[in-house]
This record gives sequence, structure tokens and C-alpha cells, in this order.
Amino acid sequence: MTIAAHFDIEYLQYLGPDGKLVADLPKGFDPKSLLPLFKQMLFVRVFDTKSIALQRTGKLGTYAACLGHEATHVGIGSSMRPEDVFAPSYREYGAQFMRGVQPREVLMYWGGDERGNDFQIPRNDYPWCVPISTQCLMAAGAALAFKLRKEPRIAVACCGDGGSSKTDFYAAVNSAGAYKLPLVLCVINNGWAISVPRSAQTGAETLAQKGIAGGLHCLQVDGNDLIAVLEAMRRAGERARNGEGGSVIEFMTYRLHDHTTADDARRYRGEDEVKAGWTREPMLRLRTFLTAKKLWDEAQEKAWLEECGKLVDVEINAYLESKVQPVEAMFDYLYADPPPDLLAQRAAAIALEKRNG
Amino acid sequence: MAEKTAANAAPAAITLIEAITQALAYEMRNDKSVVVLGEDVGVNGGVFRATAGLSATFGPERVLDTPLDETTIAGLTVGMASQGMKPVAEAQFDGFMYPMVDFIVCHAARMRYRTRGRLSCPMVLRVPWGGGIRAPEHHSEANESIFTNVPGLRVVMPSSPARAYGMLLAAIREPDPVIFFEPKRIYRQYKEVVADDGEALPLDVCYVLRDGTDLTLVTWGAQVKETLEAADALAKEGISAEVIDVATLKPLDFATIAESVSKTGRCVIVHEAAKTAGFGAEIAARLAEESMYDLVAPVERVTGYDTHIPLFRLEMKFLPSVDKIVAAAKRAVAHS
Amino acid sequence: MANKTASTKKFLLPDLGEGLPDATIVEWFVKVGDTVRLDDNLVSMETAKAVVEVPSPVSGKVLKLAGGAGDVIVTGTMLAEFEIDPSMPQRAEGQDTGHHHGGAAAHETHGGAGTDAPSDNGHQVIASDEGGTISDAGTPAPKGEAGEKRDDAGTVVGAMQSSDAIRTEAAVAVGGVKAMPAVRALARKLGVDIARVRATGPDGVVTMDDVKRAAADGSAKPGAAPASRAVTQQVQDTPAANAQRTPMSATGRPMRTQPPSVQASGQPEQLKGVRRNMARVMADAHAKVVPTTLVDDADLHAWIGKQDITARLIRSIVAACKAVPALNAWFDGDKLVRTMHPHVDIGIAVDTDDGLFVPALRNADMLDANGVRGAIQRLRAQVEDRSIPASELSGYTISLSNFGMFAGRYATPVVVPPTVAIIGAGKLMHDVVAVMGGIEVHRRMPISLTFDHRAATGGEAARFLKALLDDLARPN
Repeated sequence: MTIAAHFDIEYLQYLGPDGKLVADLPKGFDPKSLLPLFKQMLFVRVFDTKSIALQRTGKLGTYAACLGHEATHVGIGSSMRPEDVFAPSYREYGAQFMRGVQPREVLMYWGGDERGNDFQIPRNDYPWCVPISTQCLMAAGAALAFKLRKEPRIAVACCGDGGSSKTDFYAAVNSAGAYKLPLVLCVINNGWAISVPRSAQTGAETLAQKGIAGGLHCLQVDGNDLIAVLEAMRRAGERARNGEGGSVIEFMTYRLHDHTTADDARRYRGEDEVKAGWTREPMLRLRTFLTAKKLWDEAQEKAWLEECGKLVDVEINAYLESKVQPVEAMFDYLYADPPPDLLAQRAAAIALEKRNG
Repeated sequence: MAEKTAANAAPAAITLIEAITQALAYEMRNDKSVVVLGEDVGVNGGVFRATAGLSATFGPERVLDTPLDETTIAGLTVGMASQGMKPVAEAQFDGFMYPMVDFIVCHAARMRYRTRGRLSCPMVLRVPWGGGIRAPEHHSEANESIFTNVPGLRVVMPSSPARAYGMLLAAIREPDPVIFFEPKRIYRQYKEVVADDGEALPLDVCYVLRDGTDLTLVTWGAQVKETLEAADALAKEGISAEVIDVATLKPLDFATIAESVSKTGRCVIVHEAAKTAGFGAEIAARLAEESMYDLVAPVERVTGYDTHIPLFRLEMKFLPSVDKIVAAAKRAVAHS
Repeated sequence: MANKTASTKKFLLPDLGEGLPDATIVEWFVKVGDTVRLDDNLVSMETAKAVVEVPSPVSGKVLKLAGGAGDVIVTGTMLAEFEIDPSMPQRAEGQDTGHHHGGAAAHETHGGAGTDAPSDNGHQVIASDEGGTISDAGTPAPKGEAGEKRDDAGTVVGAMQSSDAIRTEAAVAVGGVKAMPAVRALARKLGVDIARVRATGPDGVVTMDDVKRAAADGSAKPGAAPASRAVTQQVQDTPAANAQRTPMSATGRPMRTQPPSVQASGQPEQLKGVRRNMARVMADAHAKVVPTTLVDDADLHAWIGKQDITARLIRSIVAACKAVPALNAWFDGDKLVRTMHPHVDIGIAVDTDDGLFVPALRNADMLDANGVRGAIQRLRAQVEDRSIPASELSGYTISLSNFGMFAGRYATPVVVPPTVAIIGAGKLMHDVVAVMGGIEVHRRMPISLTFDHRAATGGEAARFLKALLDDLARPN
């Protein structure tokens, strides 16, 4: 028998759920570098918790929580350079905060105001993306632009396990391979696409191997192990910047909250599974690891959490105090060069507003 | 091949498709951010030869053959455009562009809006459009109405080589997305002298091709040909028809149509697409809203039937014809 | 398309592949005079892609073959000719699908407007385009290059009409302004009123640069006039509409004033009937009469009881005519003849939707109040149902226009020849008047008297007016 092609999917894990190392650290890796990232993960969790509370008290629209994904998100975001471009789905706040997106921008978006998408700092990053996985293909387009312009920038896109089924994901994989693009596709496998479990999404053994079909480098990692996340992103980023093409990284994690605040996961998954998920969650193991290394303790955590609370409250207040856009904002961003008919409608809307007080 | 523009030489008489090529070449010479992408656009020069010679001149990094997937083309185009390039994508045929609708409607039309102007999408999607070339199924769609109701888009359709050249330049230079429908039936129908001078022609306005006093004929695309012929036939019977080429369907320059109808009092709209909810309905509604007291006759629409365009044996019976246009004009003129 | 006489068939070489312009004969399997059956192998042909066997399309006798081994036959030209044998099996005539890519072929031009028959020497056929405002300057297509170069079909599917005919679009004259459609479109885009742009193109045509210049220097902003400008037939038909442009003003800004008729948006109507007549009559009067008008007010304060105003007016006119017959006369301006009338026939102006009628109240001097009233009612009714005879619409000796029913005090009504005077009665008013010892409110009627000064003097008119007013002022 002649083998036409074969593949292996490597799985990366350094830090087990109990906080103990299961493999040698990557060469040159300094555990101290985990500390600021751990603190950032705590900040994200505080933000996430308060955002859910905002929604539950009628102060925020539907919100997609990121509980349990902190290591994956923060790890992805911190591995990018400012000049790179990030294309989120709609959950990766941890990555976006590393890129300079402000919590108040997240709240504005879920609070029903387009200004949330007008990121003040990462001006070229893509906004939150509802049509599933289309962000992967747009990121491929961005990567293509970088390549054609010979810029040393990479594009990173995130989608979910459900997202890896989508046409646009396959199109991104194929384009990345066809053009050898500086693209990193992050498939964040949190086990659920709303109510559909990962097992129902595809017959493929791993989601990472979908990249094989496009000729990309593929890797599966324990997404709750920050060290593994960082190592995987380091490898993929290096390849992309060296002109070696794109990667698919499957981050194994677990969605500890509902799909969104409009969802009730108890309809389709049991409590035991969620409990088990909590035992593997990223914060627990990292806390254990850093505490054992004497880099962290309870008092520091208490103080830091309090400070996070304050920082997040500043953002929440900024959001709550923001004024609704004037009615003409509906018209002002359709065309650089608005046609007369549109301007007439704009004027009519303003006049109506005046009449109604 | 020399990169010098042909502007120094005497301008040639060229077909519509050659005008497309000429415009692409001009803009690619003068704006490095312009790239062309699509299926078979490289070595093959595109199945209609729209991109003939461009790959040889500008190389594979400016003229990209894409994998066979319309979603890919649309997504990559939006991605590139939103990162500061000016991609001019080609859909190989109108009937294949439907998977692109997701990216056009969900992203291209919304990028500026969604991000409050932080990101934008200066892309052009060129689409060989419409029937009349005896092609197999799905190669003869007149599907402009899908896009004319989508805010944030421009929908443009030239009807002559000169307008194809000038309006394509304008479309590429436009900071917002343009769906550029090219009536394939008239790709090679005749030649016109078109100087390669880089002069864009305005979008967002109608082109009055012929002056008249008794009725206004409004049309676009390949049907401009039949409409002008109908105007000739009517002139022989003493009926003076004004002919307007809408050219940019969205945003619509209704003022030109209104001005004409205020003079003539009668309007006949001609389009290839099926009648119901075709773009003629929008023009008729605007006439009812704003030109009611100028009209002395009901608005007439001469259109394709509310059926799929048939295969070529019946194709010409489906399409508007000179006879159908003349008959509608006479019905209108019977009212005074 | 097969050309068929009674029992022969010309077999034209079909397109053996997709878009192949010709094929080369490799070997004939028949010769002239042979009998061949439907679908028997006729010939093997070599194309750019392969060697292909071509079957016979009919059963019958071979009459002609188009060449020998090695000859190139152009797609769509004759390959063989047969005499059909009706006793042998034949195939139904199908439709030519019209797919001929490149090379000479019998194109079906769209709309069925005739086909161009292929010529035997294989020159490329040009589909002709009729119509449009556009001038054809057809140039023949260059002959296909010899050798291996295949004509590019320029499409992967279907059959596209292809032509080397050259067209130019003409400048369009709308609203008296000549410009190419693209120039007109640019003017609209830039918010420039093309009618106000200074044209520098040949023959008064407005050019692109003219419009751009106007946009840049703001010299042709659209005026306050509404966007809808109907152009009257007259302006359009005037080829020298451009000649109406005024020279540039001293500031260098182009100025153009136009007569109101260019901006109007109403629909012209040809005058007919009574209105037409009125136009003529009034113009005629204007040309001849020398009108002078005196105005005054009749004081009705002394009137006792309710009285018929028209009857009183009539009576007062009669009284005035008796007092000053000079105003109850006809005047012939050409012959300089004046005819004073003993009787008083008063022409009463009656306004209708169709126009002005002036029926004659005959012998007003003979009628009493009832008689006047009755006569007026009869005249009105006859006017209303248009039963009044033409004879009663003329021959009056003096006229009355009681316009005051609606509005207006004084007027200068028109004296229509050959009469020499017309009285205009204005709106009855309650006026404040000064009387000896104070102020009172009196009911008054404004009276205007226009007379033809060729025929009467101011003194006569004044005395006539006084007599009229005096009679009107009487209690009854």
C-alpha cells in the first residue's frame, strides 16, 4: 500500500487542571511572565461577572459571557503585536482588552450603540461579528493585503467549534493555504454551539485537522492552560511572520456560562457536566501554580479583585452615562458621499424628532 | 508591454469589454492599492477577457486567480478593502453571485456604518449581467433588485463603452462598495472611441441620451439599445421620446426623471428583470409620490415576465423588445 | 440555417467543438454520385482539438463536396450538398442553436432582424446594428490571421453578438442647451445649472470643462426656480436658442436672462370660440380707440326701499344718453363719420366660463323697470344655454360692465368700436362721506366712464356722467 498523505495532530499541555506541570516548560519560558496575564484574566472575569449582572438588571442588552475562556482569550491577545489585526467573533473580550479595546466599548455594543465598534486604540481590528465565521475569511483577506503589500503583519481570527462547520471557515482555511497567508485561525472549542454539542458538529476527530485540508499547520492545545496557549500562539505567529503560511489552532476549553444571557443551558446540558468543567477551569490551575511559586497569594488577589471592581465600575458608569446618539447618526455612516435622497430622509428624521420634542 | 498610457496615441474605438480592461489598467497603473481578483482573471484574462493582458502587465500580485468559491472571493475582497486596499473583484457570472450576498449585505454594506466610519469597504464587485447571449441556465440573471434595497451599497450599470470606462473609474475611486453590473449582451456589440485619459464619469446621476417632448423612456443596461431603437421608430410616427439611461440604480437620481416627466407627462420604464418588485417598481412609486400631477397617462413598465429567464429557444420572447416598448409608448401617448 | 430547394439540402459545417472556427478535411468516405444513408459516416475532419467523424444529415445522393483532403472549411459554410431521397429515412429539421463562436457564421441577430448570409470565402460577418440617435461608421472586420491563431470567442458559454461597427453618441439638446449626456450628468452631479453655464464647445455645445469650471467658480448655481422646468415647444424648435444668450457681464460672470415663457410650467392651449373672439376684438379696439376714463361715485343714500340695481343703472344710462346724445353714438374712425342714435340699445357684459358675451338690451329707453328686469333675465338665460342669436350679440349703441358684483371700484373698461362709450359699475360700498356738519355713512356705487376721445369731448363725457349720477341718486 502506498500512502498518498498522512497527518498527525500535536496536542500541547504544560499545566494540568490541578496546577501541576505535566510537561517541561517550553524552552526559555519564564513563569513570572504569567503573573500580569493572570491578573488580566482576573480582570476579565470581574468584567464578565458585572456585565452579566448589568444584563440581568435591565441595563444591558443580550450579552455573550466569556466565563471559562480567560486563558485562551488573554493568551491569544497578548501574543499579538499592535500592528497585527484581530478578528473576533463576539466573545473574546480577554483578547480584545489586550489589544486596547476598552470595556466600555464592549458595553456600548451590547448596549445597542454602534459606537462600541469604533475602537479608539486598535483602529484596524475587526468589530464584533455576528455572521458566524465570516470574520475568518475577512481576516484571510486582511492577511492577503499584508502579504501583497509586503508588510510584516499577521491576522488572527477566532471562531467556535460550531463556527468551524461554516463555509466561510473552510474558505478561510483554503485561501490561507492557496495563498500561503500570514493567518492564524483560532478555533475555540468550548464544547457547545448554543445547544449543539461538539460531537454533532463534524465527523472529524479534531477540529484542528480541518486545517490539514488547506495545507496549514495544525495544533490542538489545552485552552485552559495559559502556558500551552502562549506556546501555540508563539509558534503560529513565528511561522506566519516567517512566510511559512497559516495555522489552525484548536483551543480545548469549556463554556461555563450560557451561550448568551438569552440562553438557558440547563435545557440541554446537565449540571454534572458544568461542575466537571469548573474543576478544569483556567483560573484555578494558574492560581495554584503561581501561589506554589510564591508569585501570588490570597491577599494580593483580594486587593487586585477590589481594584478590578473599581476599574470596571468606571467603565460601566461611562457606558451608563453615555447619551443616545442623535437620530441623524442613523444616516451619517452609510456613505462617505451621501446621496440627496438620503440627506432628505435625514432631514425629515431630524424634523420629526424636533416636533416630537 | 509598455506601461505608458495610450493617452499619447490617438484614442481607439473599443468595445464595452475593452473599455473595462482599459479602465482597470489605467487605475492599476496609477493606484498601487488596486488589485483585481476572481476566477480565471489571471492568465486567461477572465472568461469574457475583461482582464486580458493585466496579469502580464502587473503580475500575479496585482491580478489574483482565486480558488473556485464565490464566498472566498467576496470574503477576501471585504477583508482587503477594510484594510486599505482597493480590490476589484469579478464574479464570473450573475447567476453565481448569490453566495456573495452574505458578505455584500452583512459586511460590505455595513462596515462603515457598523464602526461609525472607523473601517470602510472601498471595493468594486464586477458582475457580467443579464440575458440575451443564448447561454445555459444561471448565466443570464438580471438580479439588480436584490441589491437596490440594501442601504450602504451602490448599484451601477453602464450601457456604453464610454460610460463603462468612466463609471468603472468612478466606482473604483468611490470610498464605498459598488456592485458594477456589466450587460454582457452588449459587451462587444459596437465600438466607441474612448480616450484613456483617466476621466471618471459621475455616479449617482442619470444620463439623458435623447431629448424628447411626448414621453419619457427610462431604462438601463442592455435595454438601452432597444429603447433607443424604439425611440427611432416612434419618431418616424411623429412621437418624440426622451430617453434616460438610469446608469446608477442606487442611489437613484430621481430628479432627472421627474424633470423629464414634468415636461412630457408620460413615462415608460423598460427593464429586463422580472416585473414584480423589479427596480421599475421603485421608479413608478416615486412617480406616484412626486410626479402625480405631471402625469397625464398611467406609468407603463415593459419588463421580463414574472418567470425565470427561459433557455435560449424562448429567451428572446422573454426579453423586452422594440415592439413591446413601442406598444407601451403608444398606449401612453393615447392619453392626453 | 439550411438553405433548401425542393429536394436538395446544403449541409453547412457545424461547430464541431466549442467555438471552433474551422476544420480541415482529412478523408471523404463518399464521392459525388454516391447514395448515402442518414448518420452514415460522411467525412473525417481535423479540428484544433481532435479528429472528428461527421455523419450524414440526410439520406440521399451526394451532389457536391466542398473540397478535398487537406482543405480547410470554415464553420457554417457549405461542406456538402445532397439530393434528398424521400423514400429513405430522414431526420426532422431542428433549429439552428445559433452558437457560432468566432469565424463566419449565420448569426441570428437579436430581435430577428434578418441574418447575414455567410459568404463563401469565409470573411468574418459583421452583425449590423440599426437605430439609435447614433451614427454608424461601420468598418469591416479584419480578415482572420492565417495560421494557427484561433479567433477568441470571448465567452465560455452562449453566443455573443460581436461587431466592429463604431458609434458616437451625439450631443443632446434639452431645454435649448446642447451637451453630451455625460456632461449633462456631471452638471447635475456637481449641482450646476447647465442652462447657466458658459458654453465653449463647437456649435454652442457645453463641454465637461465648462461644467467643471462653473462648479469651481460657483457661477452657475441653480436658481430659485423649481427643478421642474417644462420647455415650451417654441423654445425647443428654435435652433438659435443659443443665440439668446447674453454677452458676459462686466464682472466676467456669465449671465443669461430668459423670457418668462421658458420657465412656465403650464400647458399651452389654443384659444377657441368666445375667448378667441374676445382676444381679437379687444386687440382691434386697442388699436383704434383713444380711451379716456372719468370716475366718480353714485350716492344711493336717498334710495327708498329695496330696488333693482341693474334696472336703476340702465335707467340712469338712458337718462344720460338723453342728456348727452354724443356718447350714444357710433364712430367710424376710417371714414370719420359719427352716427348718433335716437334709441338706446345697451350692450350688457355677461361673464361665462367660456368667455365674455355682450348681448344687447334693445330699446332700453322704452322699457320700464319691470321690462328691464325681464329683458335682462331673458338675455342671461339665453347666454347661459347659448341660445342667443348672433344678431343679439352686436348692434348695441353703448355698453355696461357691472363688474362690481365681484370686486373692484373703478376700472378702465374697453370701448369696443363702433360704440364710443362704456360704463363700468363697481362694487357697492358703504362709504364714510363728509357732509355739512359732520360725517355720514352712505351707500355708494363707484362709476367709471370710458369714452373714445376721437368721438366725444371731455366736457360731453363729464356732463354725461353727471346726468347718470344724478339719476342714480334719485330716491326712486
